[in-house]
Amino acid sequence: MTSVFSPPGFNFSNQSRNDFIAEKGIPMPKATSTGTTIVGCLFADGIVLGADTRATEGDIVADKNCEKIHYITESIRCCGAGTAADTEFTTALISSNMELHALSTGRKPRVVTAMTMLKQMLFRHHGNIGAALVLGGVDATGPHLFTVAPHGSTDKLPYVTMGSGSLAAMAVFESSWKPNMSRDDALQLVKDAISAGIFNDLGSGSNVDACIITASHTEMLRNVEMPNQRVEKERQYRFARGTTAWKSEEIRKLVVSEEVILLAGGDEMDTT
Amino acid sequence: MSIMDQNGGSVIAMVGKDCVAIASDLRLGNEALAVSSNFQKIFPITDRIYLGLPGLATDVTTLKERFRFRVNMYTIKEEREIEPETFAHLVSSTLYEHRFGPYYVEPVMAGISKTPSGGFKPFIAATDLIGCLNYAKDFVVAGTASSKLYGVAEGLWEPDLEPEDLFETISQTIMNALDRDAYSGWGCIVHVLTKDKVITRTLKARMD
Amino acid sequence: METSFAITGKGYVIVAADTTASRSIIKMKTDEDKVKTLSPHLLMAYSGEPGDTVHFAEYVERNIRLYQIRNLYPLRPSAAAAWIRRALATSLRSRSPYSVNLLVGGYDTASHDPHLYWIDFLGTMTEVPFAAHGYGAYFALSLLDRYHDPEASLEDGLIALKRCIRQVEERLVVTPGKYKVKVVSKDGIQEIDL
Repeated sequence: MTSVFSPPGFNFSNQSRNDFIAEKGIPMPKATSTGTTIVGCLFADGIVLGADTRATEGDIVADKNCEKIHYITESIRCCGAGTAADTEFTTALISSNMELHALSTGRKPRVVTAMTMLKQMLFRHHGNIGAALVLGGVDATGPHLFTVAPHGSTDKLPYVTMGSGSLAAMAVFESSWKPNMSRDDALQLVKDAISAGIFNDLGSGSNVDACIITASHTEMLRNVEMPNQRVEKERQYRFARGTTAWKSEEIRKLVVSEEVILLAGGDEMDTT
Repeated sequence: MSIMDQNGGSVIAMVGKDCVAIASDLRLGNEALAVSSNFQKIFPITDRIYLGLPGLATDVTTLKERFRFRVNMYTIKEEREIEPETFAHLVSSTLYEHRFGPYYVEPVMAGISKTPSGGFKPFIAATDLIGCLNYAKDFVVAGTASSKLYGVAEGLWEPDLEPEDLFETISQTIMNALDRDAYSGWGCIVHVLTKDKVITRTLKARMD
Repeated sequence: METSFAITGKGYVIVAADTTASRSIIKMKTDEDKVKTLSPHLLMAYSGEPGDTVHFAEYVERNIRLYQIRNLYPLRPSAAAAWIRRALATSLRSRSPYSVNLLVGGYDTASHDPHLYWIDFLGTMTEVPFAAHGYGAYFALSLLDRYHDPEASLEDGLIALKRCIRQVEERLVVTPGKYKVKVVSKDGIQEIDL
């Protein structure tokens, strides 16, 4: 029987069953992946992170406006590319552990701490957790920007890109990034880099999300640019009521009406 | 042939004005051979949450039982009904726990959640087979006809449909998409959830 | 090639399975009973991997019996089918899973109606008015779509079954010779000689 207690970590109980099914030569179904453009760059006062908002499932766009900039701590954020569930759960786990770490040390956590936790987790799983990340934030030692690859290797660079649109975005950074840019210039550069991904890479699309992290505060700019808004439909495609023929109907009322009938005989509460 | 196509089946959920709808086909097949025309894929979780489970039928049944167990445990421990958002995370984490040996299902959820001010808010969500949540403001689809459902729903859906209009839109969406899918069909069922009632209708559909 | 059928009717379920036990291309036996009586009102036809089938059927039989001994009443068909499905689904997650396909037919003595469940080796289960496993299913299901009547008498039910058997004999390349036919109704289980 299923136990009420379930131990932490992954459950491999279906593995042998799935191997048995796979023996028949049936391929593993596709998981949602964020064929993505994610970037980060350093500027005078901190870090700007950027991401597109398309999630794909094979050649289908599964989500047109998903969020790829994940919360780690108040002043550390992480963009995720690769298998969507992996980026989602890995960053959520590290975020929890960072909060616990901050509470136990009594200090504001550092970006390297998050980076180390992420790379150790990913390395431990030999690249089976398909998360490619851009980690950025500001801590007591200043602004830091990292990339973390699925196998656990990391880079520390002044400007980084990841995902299927990384080449398009990197081209923009290579041509225009300068040290000590202003906040507005850096944000514009990130918008341009993500836009390059959105318009030139098929795996990326829809809107631009950005996040500006400085020592004093963090600004999450959700859908800061929406270059692919759908125009209003010119006609309504509503069906007249009664178009669809149905065979049977069951209506379940959720409102329980209760009527209290007092028995005659003077047991009522005295309300005078 | 993918293992997701072994038994066939599709589910769609849509948001309307203060209501949501969820619909599925009723076929259970063994590859191309249809075995049943009355296979339940949408399960009531609470009065205000319905869960659709298209995918490998053995996992549909196993997960239905698992979720019933876990929701019952939640209800007993918390002494209240689970909210749709919480249930979505329950589904998501149950599936991600099996990241390296997944259940072959792509759940679709529809529900009405209570706001702190006492109002009601429609909620839909879907996850992939390893539990990546996808919240949508319009519609979510899954199953063997998902590619067709995306297309038809994208064309027919519009915001703020009243329950009866939403019923027509979701019914026409699923029936027309299913006509182009060999592995789904053989009847349809639609549930429309509003704040005070749930309307369930089985549609008169093509049986081929 | 293994074939099994089951048909529900007014107050009964007919469960039939061929009687050949084969290994590779050789018929080893032609009087094998592949329809097990699980309880006074429950039948199960099984087919699949030779060793697995008998082993699994006996495992199920004894557990259903154990339940009845412990609780003094037997499992109802829906509960028994759910337990059997769970046993298969769990076995599928083990190192060597059972490769067994089942038809579980029973008469519910509490609600007084017949129930039939189609279960395959993956643990897929569905309640159906009629069912079949094996190559015979390709003929039987379309025939029963046309001729099945949930209100049919036992005689008419057996006629429908004979139609299926005849069609399989006529059209399937390798046909099983004989069938074991059992019926479960409110009076319990009886074997029928076609």
